[in-house]
Amino acid sequence: MLSLQHISKYYQAGGNKNYVINDISLDVDEGEFVSIMGPSGSGKSTLLNIIGMLDEPSEGYHYFVNEAVHQLKEKKRAALYKQYIGFVFQAYHLIDELTVYENIETPLIYQDVKGSERKAMVADMLDRFQIVGKKDLFPAQLSGGQQQLVGIARALIAKPKLILADEPTGNLNSKQGEEIMELFSKLNKEDGVTIIQVTHSEKNAEYGSRIINLLDGRIESSRKF
Amino acid sequence: MIKNYFKIAWRNLWKNKAYSLINIGGLTAGIAVALLIGLWVSYQYSYDKFLPNYGQSYQVRRNFNSNGDTLTFSTTSLKLADALRNGYPEIEYVAEADENRAHGLAVGDTKLSLDGIQAGSDFLKIFRFPFLQGNANGLRDPYSIIITESTAKALFGNKDAMNQLIKVDNKDNLKVTGIIKDIPSNSSLQFNYIIPFSYFEIADPGVKEARNQSFGSNGFVLYAKLKDGIKYKQIAPKIKNLEKYEDNLNAKNSDVIMQPIQDWHLYNTYTNGKALGGFINYVRTFSIIGILVLVIACINFVNLTTARSEKRAREVGIRKAIGSKRKQLIVQFLTESILITFIALFFALLLVQLVLPSFRLLTGNSITIPFNRFYFWLIVTGAAFATAILAGSRPAFYLSSFNPVQVLKGTLKTASGAIFSRKALVVIQFSCSIALIISTVIIYQQIQYAKNRPTGYTLNRLVTTITNSDLRRNMDALKNDLLQSGAVSSLTTASSPATGVWWHSDVENFPGKNTGETVEMGTILVSADYFKTLGMQLKAGHDFVNDIKADSNSVILNEAAVKRLRLKEPLGQYITKFGRRMTIIGVVKDALMDSPFQSADPTMFFFDGGSNIIYRLSPNINTHQAIDKIAAIFNKYSPAYQYTYHFVDEDYNKKFNLEVLVGKLAGIFAGLAIFISCLGLFGLAAYVAEQRTKEIGVRKVLGATVTQVWILLSKDFIVLVIVSCIIASPIALYFLQNWLYKYAYRISIGPEVFVLSAIAAIIITLATISFQAIKAAIANPVKSLRSE
Ligand SMILES: Nc1ncnc2c1ncn2[C@@H]1O[C@H](COP(=O)(O)OP(=O)(O)O)[C@@H](O)[C@H]1O
Ligand SMILES: [Mg+2]
Repeated sequence: MLSLQHISKYYQAGGNKNYVINDISLDVDEGEFVSIMGPSGSGKSTLLNIIGMLDEPSEGYHYFVNEAVHQLKEKKRAALYKQYIGFVFQAYHLIDELTVYENIETPLIYQDVKGSERKAMVADMLDRFQIVGKKDLFPAQLSGGQQQLVGIARALIAKPKLILADEPTGNLNSKQGEEIMELFSKLNKEDGVTIIQVTHSEKNAEYGSRIINLLDGRIESSRKF
Repeated sequence: MIKNYFKIAWRNLWKNKAYSLINIGGLTAGIAVALLIGLWVSYQYSYDKFLPNYGQSYQVRRNFNSNGDTLTFSTTSLKLADALRNGYPEIEYVAEADENRAHGLAVGDTKLSLDGIQAGSDFLKIFRFPFLQGNANGLRDPYSIIITESTAKALFGNKDAMNQLIKVDNKDNLKVTGIIKDIPSNSSLQFNYIIPFSYFEIADPGVKEARNQSFGSNGFVLYAKLKDGIKYKQIAPKIKNLEKYEDNLNAKNSDVIMQPIQDWHLYNTYTNGKALGGFINYVRTFSIIGILVLVIACINFVNLTTARSEKRAREVGIRKAIGSKRKQLIVQFLTESILITFIALFFALLLVQLVLPSFRLLTGNSITIPFNRFYFWLIVTGAAFATAILAGSRPAFYLSSFNPVQVLKGTLKTASGAIFSRKALVVIQFSCSIALIISTVIIYQQIQYAKNRPTGYTLNRLVTTITNSDLRRNMDALKNDLLQSGAVSSLTTASSPATGVWWHSDVENFPGKNTGETVEMGTILVSADYFKTLGMQLKAGHDFVNDIKADSNSVILNEAAVKRLRLKEPLGQYITKFGRRMTIIGVVKDALMDSPFQSADPTMFFFDGGSNIIYRLSPNINTHQAIDKIAAIFNKYSPAYQYTYHFVDEDYNKKFNLEVLVGKLAGIFAGLAIFISCLGLFGLAAYVAEQRTKEIGVRKVLGATVTQVWILLSKDFIVLVIVSCIIASPIALYFLQNWLYKYAYRISIGPEVFVLSAIAAIIITLATISFQAIKAAIANPVKSLRSE
C-alpha cells in the first residue's frame, strides 16, 4: 500500500541539521495493522504525519498506492489524501463549535458528498458507534472516551483505506482504550482497513500485526506476528 | 502609581507592535479627519467676526410677495436708504453700496482692472475694517478713495500711497484718504477699494436719478448698524411695512427685513422669507461626518481590545488573585487607551499640518492650526480625553470583570454577548462608510448629470469683457476691427454676461394677466448678433432687425418666459414693459444662464445693449494668438484701461464649485472612513484567524481546501458587510433625496448605485481580510495540531 525509502526529516538548528527522522525505509501492505512505539521525541508523530502527507520529508522517496508522492503537486496529493486516509488524534481535535453530528459530517462536505447521502452515512456511523443519542451534543459535553469515538467515527466516515492514529488512547483510561482497540481490530479484520497507530502501551500495540520501535529517528527493531 | 500604570501601558504597546500600529494608525486617521473638519467648521463660523462690534451690523433685504410665494431680494432702493437713515433713532448708521465689480484704476503708467465697491460714507463705521492709515471719515469727500494694503502696493509700489491720486475709469482723479489692511478671506464683504457713493452719484447720472425715485426702484445694496443695546426685534415691526404706502406694485408687495452679519455666511438661503438654511447645512453635515469618522476609529479600538481580551485574561486573573481591585484594573486599561489616543493625537496633528496646504487649495479657505491659542489646546486635549474614555471604557470594564478563578482554570469563554456587540459595532462602522460611499457616488452623478445637460448655447471659445466709457464710445469701430482681425468671428453686447442674469423685473402687462399678479422675469438688454454670438437657437419668429427704431418696440422671449406668461400663440402678441407696448417678435430656445441645476430662467430680451462685450474666438486661430490680437485692439480704443477677459466656459464651470467641493470632501472622508474600518477589520481578521488556528488545522486534515478555509473565515465578515449595506442604503437614500430635492434638474436615484457600492464594499472587505484568511488557510496544519 505504501513504501518509504530512505526518508529523512531534519530541522535546521544553528548551522546543524537536527534529524528527527533519519533514513527510514518502510513498507506497509494493504490490510496490515502496524503499531509504532518509541520514547517521547523519537519521531513517531513526524513519521505518521509524513505517511499521512501532512508533512513533507526533507529527503527520500515516498510511494502511496503506487503514486510517487514526493513528485506530486499539492493538489493531487490533497486529492489522494482525501480519498484514502483518515486521521485520529490523541487530543481528538473535534471542532468545538460543531455538534457531534456536524463533526462527523464535515469530511463528507469537503468531499462534495450530496446532502441526502451524507445524512444516511452519518446516521449509519452514529448507529455503529452507538452514539445516536449524543448526536446533538457539543464536544465539551462528552467524556474523553466519547470524544475519541466521535473522532474515530469522523475518520471513518469517508471510508478510508488507511487509518492513521496518533496515540488514540493517550488521554483515555484503560477500559476506554481497550474499547477503541477492539474497534480498530474489528475494522482491520472485517473491513480490511489498513491501520497505523502510534502508542505507548505495549498491550495496545499487540492488537496490531506488526510493532515498529523508533529511537532517535531510526527504526530500532521491527516485529511481525 | 500613575507612573507604574504608564510603564505597563507602554510595555503592552511595545509588546504587541502590529496591534498597536493598527490601533494608533486608525485613531490617527480618525482624529486627523475630525481635526480637519473641526478646523473647517470653526473657520466657517469665524466669518466676519474679526470686525469689531460686528454684532450690530445688518444687511437690509426685501421679502417680496410674488403671487403668494415669498421671495427674498437683496436689492433695495436709495429711497429706502434715506428713509431708514432719517426716520429711526434706533439705527445708528446706514450705508448704500453697489455690488463688488471691476473698475479701471490708473496711476501713471500702471493700469489695473480691480474689483471694488462704491459705498456710503458711513460704510466703514458699520464695518470697522482696521486702518493702516487714515480713518473711517475718509469717504466723506466724493473725490476720495480708500484702498487695501495690496492695492496700494500694486499701484504705488513701495511709495506711500496716502494722499496720492488714482485715476478711476479714465475719468476723475480720486485722492487716497485711507489704507486698510487686506480683507481676510473669512470676510463676506470682499473688495480692493471703496469709492464714496457720493462720487458714484456724480459719475453716473442714473444713480443720481435713482436718489429721487420711489421705493420700487431697487438696484442697490443696503447695510445698517443698530445703536448699541438695540435688538433687531425692537425695530423689525417698525420697518416691516415701511414701503407699503407707496402706490407701486413692487413696493406694496415688499416687507423690509434685515439679516444680522453673523448669519450672512451660513444662513444664505431664504425660503419663505426666512433664512433657516444655506451653507450651514453643509457645515452641519460635515460636522456629523467628522464625528462619525472619529467614532469609527474608536470602534476599532474597542473591538480590537475586547477581541484580544482572552489573551489578557490571564493577566487580569493573576492581578486579581494577587489583590488588585477592579477599579485599579479599570484605571490601568484606561491609561492604555489614553496613551494610545495621545500618541495618535500627536501623529494626527502632524498629519493635518502636512495635508493642510492641499486642503487649503481644495477648499479655497485660509485655514491654519491655531497652535498658539490656549483654547485650541483646551478643546483638542479635552476631545482627546473624551475619545480615550469613549474608546477605552468598554474594554476596561469588560476586561476587569473577568472572574479570576475561571480565568486561571482556563474555563472562561468569550461571552456571546461580547461577540454580538463586536459584530454590531462593525456593522455601525461599515454602515457609515458605505453610506458615505453611496453619497459620494450620487453627488458625482448629480454633478456629471448637470454638466452634461445641454446649455442651450455654445460655451466654447466664448469670451466676455466688461465695457468702460472709452469702449462704449468706440463700440462700432471696436466691433469692426475685431471682426476684421480674424480673431473674432462674432460679437455682441448685453446687460448680463452669458453666465448670469443680472436683472429681474416685472412685466407690467401681458395678455391674460390676472389682477394683482406680478411676474418677475429675467431681463436682458442685447445688441445686434446676440443670439448668433452665443449660439442660441430661434424657435419661432425672427431676430432683432438691427434697427433702433424698429427694434425698440420688440421683445424676444425664451420658451420658459412664454410658459410663464401662459401664451399659446406668443408671436405678434403684446406685452407692456418700460411703459411701452412691445411686440413679441421671436421665441428662443432656453439657455442655462443661471444655475445649471435649476429650470431655465424665464427671460425676455430687449434691443439695447449693455456693459458686457461678448465675443466668440474664430475657430481656426490659436487661443493665445487670438487673445494677443484682441488685446491690441482693445488697448487701441481704451488705452487707459487694462484689458481683462473671462472665458465663458470657465465661468460656467464655477457654477459647480460648491457641488464639486462637497463631492470631493465627501469622497475623501468616505475613503478615510472605509480605510479606518478596514484597518479594524484587518485586525479582527487576524485575531479570528489566530483564534481558530486549531479548527482550521483540523478542517484541513479532514480535507478542506485553501479556498474552503478562506470562505469559512471570510463568510462571517461578508455577512456583516451585507447587513451594513442593507442598513446604509435606505439612510443614504433618505438624506440624498433631501439633498437632491433642492435641484430642479436632478438625477433619479436608481438601484445600481446601491448594488455597485455593496459590491465595492464586499470586494474591499475581501481584499482586507483575505490576507489573514489565506495566510491561515495555507499554514501547515501539523504545526497547529502539535500543540497538544
Ligand atoms: N518545527 C520543528 N522544529 C524543530 N524541531 C521540531 C519541530 N517539530 C518537531 N520537532 C522535534 O522533532 C522531534 C520529534 O517530534 P515528534 O515526532 O512529535 O516526536 P514523538 O511524537 O515521537 O514524541 C522532537 O524532538 C521535536 O522537538
Ligand atoms: Mg507525538
